[in-house]
This record gives sequence, C-alpha cells and structure tokens, in this order.
Amino acid sequence: MELSLTVNGQPAVVDVPPGTTLLEVLRDELGLTGTKEVCDEGECGACTVIVDGRPLDACIYAAHAADRAEVLTVEGLAAGDELTDLQRAFVEAGSVQCGFCTPGFLVMATHLLETAAELSEEQVRRGLAGNLCRCTGYAQIVDAVLAVGRGA
Amino acid sequence: MSLIGASVPRGDAVAKVTGRAVYGVDVRLPGMVHARLLRSPIPAGRIVTLDVDDAWAVDGVLAVCTADDAPPRRTGLAVYDQRLFADDVVRYEGEPIAAVVAETEAAARRALEAIRLELEPWEPVAGPEQALDPATRLVHPHWAEYEVAPGLEFRRHGNVAAEMISDPGDVDAVFARAPFVVEDEYRANRQYQAYLEPKHAVVDYQGGRYTVYVAHQYPFNVRDRLAQILGVAVSRIRVVCPTIGGGFGAKLDVGLEPYAAVLARKVGRPVRIVNDRLEDLLTCTSREDAIVQIRSAVDEDGRILARELTCLMNCGAYAGDMPFLASIPLHLAGSVYRVGTARVEARVLYTNTAPTGAMRGVGGTYLTFAVERHMDHIAAELGMGRRELRLRNLFRDGDRMLTGQVIDQAGTLRQAFDRMEQVAPWAQVTAPRPLHGVGLAALIWLTNPMPGSATLKLNEDGTLGVVTAATENGSGAVAMGLTQIAAEELGLRPSDVVVLAPDTDAAAYDAGSQGSRTTHVVGAAIRKAAAEVRRRIFDVAAEMLEVSVDDLELVDGTVGVVGDPGSRVPLGEVARTATFTTGPIAATGAYRTPMPAHDPTCATGLLFPSFPTPTFHLHLAEVEVDPVTGRIHVVRYVVVQDVGRAINPTGIRGQIQGGVTQGLGYALFEQLDFDGARYRQRSLETYRLPTAVDVPRVEVELIENADPAGPYGAKGVAEPPVVPVAVAVANAVSDAVGAPFDRLPVTPEDVLAALEERRRRP
Ligand code: FES
Ligand code: FES
Repeated sequence: MELSLTVNGQPAVVDVPPGTTLLEVLRDELGLTGTKEVCDEGECGACTVIVDGRPLDACIYAAHAADRAEVLTVEGLAAGDELTDLQRAFVEAGSVQCGFCTPGFLVMATHLLETAAELSEEQVRRGLAGNLCRCTGYAQIVDAVLAVGRGA
Repeated sequence: MSLIGASVPRGDAVAKVTGRAVYGVDVRLPGMVHARLLRSPIPAGRIVTLDVDDAWAVDGVLAVCTADDAPPRRTGLAVYDQRLFADDVVRYEGEPIAAVVAETEAAARRALEAIRLELEPWEPVAGPEQALDPATRLVHPHWAEYEVAPGLEFRRHGNVAAEMISDPGDVDAVFARAPFVVEDEYRANRQYQAYLEPKHAVVDYQGGRYTVYVAHQYPFNVRDRLAQILGVAVSRIRVVCPTIGGGFGAKLDVGLEPYAAVLARKVGRPVRIVNDRLEDLLTCTSREDAIVQIRSAVDEDGRILARELTCLMNCGAYAGDMPFLASIPLHLAGSVYRVGTARVEARVLYTNTAPTGAMRGVGGTYLTFAVERHMDHIAAELGMGRRELRLRNLFRDGDRMLTGQVIDQAGTLRQAFDRMEQVAPWAQVTAPRPLHGVGLAALIWLTNPMPGSATLKLNEDGTLGVVTAATENGSGAVAMGLTQIAAEELGLRPSDVVVLAPDTDAAAYDAGSQGSRTTHVVGAAIRKAAAEVRRRIFDVAAEMLEVSVDDLELVDGTVGVVGDPGSRVPLGEVARTATFTTGPIAATGAYRTPMPAHDPTCATGLLFPSFPTPTFHLHLAEVEVDPVTGRIHVVRYVVVQDVGRAINPTGIRGQIQGGVTQGLGYALFEQLDFDGARYRQRSLETYRLPTAVDVPRVEVELIENADPAGPYGAKGVAEPPVVPVAVAVANAVSDAVGAPFDRLPVTPEDVLAALEERRRRP
C-alpha cells in the first residue's frame, strides 16, 4: 500500500502492508525515532503526533488514514538548532529526566498552547492527563508549559 | 560563581527535547534481525510437548532455540536457581520456553505461533503463606542441590529461598513485663517499575566477542551476568549503553540480553529483541508483595521497650536479588525510633509467580509502612499525640541501629521535625476537619557504597572528557551532578564537560545507578582524578608562565597567576603544550564508600550488613476523602530531606517530586495482584499510574548536613523520596476516616467500606 504524506514539512512516500500504524511508518520507514512506543494501545501518549492539526496516538492510528496528511513530530518542532520557547522552557525548568515521555508531552503541550489563549494550571494538567511520565511527577513539566502559556 | 548549588540545565536536555537522543530501543545495526520469545501461558506445569519444527519452516526464520540449545547451567545472583529457558517445568506465567529469530518481527511472531507447545498445568504455589505451609509442593524440588554465590552464607529450606534472623535472646522477657503490647499485620501488593522504555537488547557477535547495546542501569552487571550465563570470560563481552528510558531498579540485572546473545551467535548477525508491554509487565522483577507482622512492648510514657517483626517476602519463581533484600527488615525495624531490643525475621519465598526484585526504595516502602502505621496505632492505644510519641522515641546522634551500626548524625531527624513544624505546624494541620487527615512518616535511608571510577582528560581545546561507566538513568546524577562537579573542580563551564556514554571496554568498573550512589561515589572519584589533572595543568602552566605552581589558579577555562588576569592562558593551550611535551593530561580516580562497622553476630543471613552514608527524611501528607466516591485527594505533601549538599536544587526537586509521585502511585493506584498466580493487571490501562491530575506539587525543604566523604558534602538523594510516601498517606487516610488502613494500596473501595462500617457502628 503506497502512501504519500508530509512529515515535518518534508514530503514522504512509503509502501507498507495494510495494518501498519502511523508510528511504524515514522519509526521504521522514515527513521524518525523521536516519537516513542510505550504501550502500543493508546494509553500513554508517548507516541503523540499532530495529524492535520489534531493530536493523536500514532501507535493506534492506521497509516493509511494519514495518506495525504500533514504530520508533525517532535523532530519538527525546532527550526534547525533553534529550539521553540516550549522546548527551551523544558530544558530550563527541569521537565526532562529520562526523557522517554518528553516527545509526547512536547507535541501535546505545543498543541495546547496553540489552541488556547491562556492556560490555567488546572487546564494544563487536564490537557496533559493522557500523557504518562514515570520520572518527574509532572510538576516541572506543568511549570514549563505555564511559563510559556503565561508569556504568550 | 560556584557551580555547586546552581540549577544548571542538564547536559542531555537538548538532545531529549529535540527527539535526537538515541535510546536503547532506537538502536539499529546493519543486517540486524529480530527475535521473540515463546513464554509460558500458565504459572505452573510440565512441558509435555515442545515441537519447533514448523517454526523453522516459516518464511524468514533464521533460528529457533530452546533449553536444548542454550547454555546448560543454572545461574543467579545469590542462588543459582535459574536456567535461560524452562526445561521440563514452567514456574511462572511468562517464563521463556523458546526463542525465534527472523528477518522481520512479523516473521518472528508467525514462527512463535507455529511452535507446538503442550503443557500439563499444575496447581500453582500462589502466595508466600501458601509457600510456607509444609503441605505445599516445592517450587524447586531440587533446591538443596543449587549452588550459592561464592562468599554468601544464609539459610535456605524448601520454598524458603533465603532467611535472615536476628534474635538477641532477651526479647520475650521484656514483652512479658511490658505494660502495653501493641500488635499489627500489614500487607502490600507488588509494584511494577513501569519505566516507559520496555526492556530490550541488541547483541552483535563478531570475532569471538559479544557487543551488547542496551540502555541499562548497570552495564558491568550485564557484562558479568552474561559471562556467567554463557560461560565465557568477561573480556568477551562489551556493553554499550545508549540513552535509557527509565529503570527504577528493574534494569539492574540481565533481562533479554542473554537471549539475543545466544541467537546472535547462532545466526552470525546482530539480533534485536524488545518486550511488548504485556510481556514486560508480566515478567518484570517488580517490587515484591509482602506481609509484615509487628509487635511492640511499650511503657506508660510511650517508650518502646522491645519489638518483634516478621516479614514474608515473595520472590516469585527465582530468588534473584531478594536474598540480599532480606536484610532490609532488620535495618528498618529499629532505626529512626529507639526500640530497645528486637527480634527480626525475614523469609524470602518461592512461588509460581514472576520473579520480583529491586525497585526504587526496595522493601523500605512496605517496612516503613508497617513501622509508621504501627507508631500511629501505639499512639492511639496510649492516647498520646502521634507526633509526641515519635519525638519521645526519636534517634539522637550516636544511636545504634539493630545491627550495632552507629548513626552519628541521627540528630538530623530532630532537625527535620523542627523544620516540618515551621512549614506545617502540627497543631494547625491536625485541627479537626471532617474527612480530612494528616499523616507523618520518618526514615533513615542509605547511599549505596559500591565502587565507581572516572577518567578525566583535558582535551586539546580546553574542554574536559569524562570516561566513566556511571549511568545517567534520568535522575541527572551524570548530566547534572557529575558534570557540575567536574566543571567546578577545573574552573570550566558545564557545557565544556563531555561525558562518554557507558562502554565497558572504555571505562573501569562502576556499580551502576542504584541506591542514589552516582553523585556521591563517582563524584568523589571525579574529585580525586581532578586533583591530579589540576596538578598536571599547574606543572605545565608554571613552566609556560615561568612562575611557581603555588601562584596559579583555574578560572573560566584558563590558568593564570592568582589576582593577575593578564597572565591567564587558555586551558586548550596548556593541553596542547602538555600533549606534545610531557604527554596528554589525563587521570583516573576511583572510590568506594567504606562499610560502616556493625556487629557481625547480630544476625544470620544478613547479606547487606549496614547502611553507609545515611540520610534523614520526614514526610507529611494531608488528605481529604470524598464520602460519596471514596476518592482520596492528597491536598498537601511536604518533604523534609537531608541531602548533605544540594549540587543542583532543580534536579533534586525533580527527584523528590518524581519519587513522591511513585510513592503516591504505590499508596493509592498501583498494584499487581493475583487471580490464582496470574496478574490481574495486564496493561497500562489496568495497571494505573498516577497522571498529571492525580498528584500535588510537593513542597520541598532541604537540610544540608554535609557528609565528610561526599563530594562537597553530597549524600545520596534520589532513591529515598519514594519510601515513606505510602505510609504518610495511609496514616492520613486512617486519620481522616477514623479507621485503620493496613493494606496497600488504599483504594476508594476500602475507604467507602470503612465509612460504611463507621456509620453502622458509631
Ligand atoms: S505508545 Fe501510543 S499511546 Fe502509548
Ligand atoms: S522523564 Fe522519564 S518518563 Fe517522563
């Protein structure tokens, strides 16, 4: 099954068997290993990517549904070496420990910040409740999102 | 400005926020092929048929392997009780029976389905109490023939894989004349480490050597255990560690590496193996389930006169590191509070469940749960304040643990209670409010003493290379702690320090990320190496500048005469001069914490005899319970923690917040429990981890009582914050509801049942 999609602004064409997930396309076909697989069943948010403006779990998203779609992954956030404000805030606030959850949180929080004018702590926490982090206990992740959300 | 105490961003953060960091599961080698394991679908039984012929015939399959093709020996950490594949008998659900390797993962999965496996199911040995019953079948009928690791001495018998007993002989007499005796039993279920990156390995076999790529907490243990299992010299194995996606104790022993190694040798190509989440959860060496019985003799003033504590620990089908952890009950039964004399017994029991093992805080979690719940019970029996009872029995400087170990700085506990009183005055927080409760829990914990080393080399551009097998498990111990210490020692910016990822061919031995040891032990090693590097820099610079070495200082990447900025020479220039005259500037430092003295006659089976570099902790939880849903809301959480010296305060806050969150999970949501001998929880949906809406922002108060041997006084930090949490919360819930909660986790159903009970019997 041939699919063409745009990933982080780059056109890509892949040929994959039916039943392939978007996560497999990203990691195995395109070598974009920034997006992580943790549960493979939509429970943890580690594989969050944005497809045509909507955040979703790439591990349970059929690749064929992404045909002709625009996909944004963690690798597409920074412009070259120029980090986004949110990425910088993650670095500074201590939001990253092992970092395995970080790509999913960054993509999800980027979406939250783009879609809300202003975010309260409660809204940030609710917005990130679908993403699991085993290391940080969330406080410093929430801090980073709030630092950017309030700055906006 | 000093870097010690500065919240410098971690060195690996940019790679992690851009998705560029390469984790273990991201490793791809040319020609790599894919392996999967056939695992036992039942917890106990006999293999009647295992026919792999059809699997060989599946398109893309390169090899199939069973017990017949694997190394024949049994190995282990303390007891050599485990083979790579089950032979004849399966002892837990998920136990590997066969392995396949194929061109693709899909082909490997198809091959597994083609294997014919017939099992005769047996009634499983389900829990520690059943295992202890003399009428129960033995999980290992040939236990007596198993070897024990050299140098270890402990009792084993039948389903008891290890036993630790301490009995000073005078305990019964004290109980017999005690004014009060208080007795309790506490139970805790298993906790899954639930690191986000599943266990995995890639192994390449070339020219008689195995190269193992695995994101691991303890690369040298992978080397040593793999050598043990394969029966080869340690020099035949090289372990390289990419970035790790969490471990929390579950990645200290070998996991999938031996399977990949056996298959890689068979097929002559690099073999990758990764657990899916279900296999990971089913087979992970989770924190053990345990039953703790505790009894104390107390006088009218609330003074504890004697104690008896018995602990049953479920090690599952194989002993793993549990015989070592059987020492923890003795350490925790009589530290923090004086208990007079005490008899402590711990038994590690074989059952037909997944092997258990170390998780952050190990048995400290449920033992502190028992000890501190029991303190609340004693206070209630005596009609005494809970804080007051604790203060009356609290350790002071120089008090002894039950092992005879002297705790010099134990007075830090009193400091912690005083600090807590400033931020959360007891009278104020405990002012009666309906369905609101407060819990308190204190702890003495250790810093793992095991050896480490680091080689520092001054690069020819003035940056510093650090070669060490210390692992950055996410805590920041390497990316913050060691980086900052090295930079501070040599007047560099943290960004000028480049730490090589662990590679057992390059670095000398390191005991891995366990027990909060990295900053303390490897930091001390770095300081030793840095002293030598500094001496070499000064020698070379003294000649270049024609001054005495005593006049020199290191400032901002330069060396110059003290107080004369005009004299400064960049370190790159010094390094180049040195390299091409006397030779490159490099030095190695090594350190191991000396073990504190203890009384060797205090116990038998005490494989982990003392608590080096102790730290002191006090936690307070405030909860509200919802009378309709039973939901427990942790509204406030305060941690007072002695860290020796805070190298990076933001990093420490992150460790405390993260550790407390794991503790809240253990207290309220997380558990692996059994339907027979099978886990009920089988995904991250049913195994419920805390999310961003479940946990409060933890208030952190640091005490900095320096350790004389630690780098800048630093002690271990990251492990202990998880330990007292469950009991601080359970004490708070018991206070809120007015009924004891003596089982972990405390669930909304438990709360509703207790409220109902209270309504019926006012
Ligand atoms: S890996 Fe996709 S939600 Fe967990
Ligand atoms: S930083 Fe490790 S899981 Fe979030």
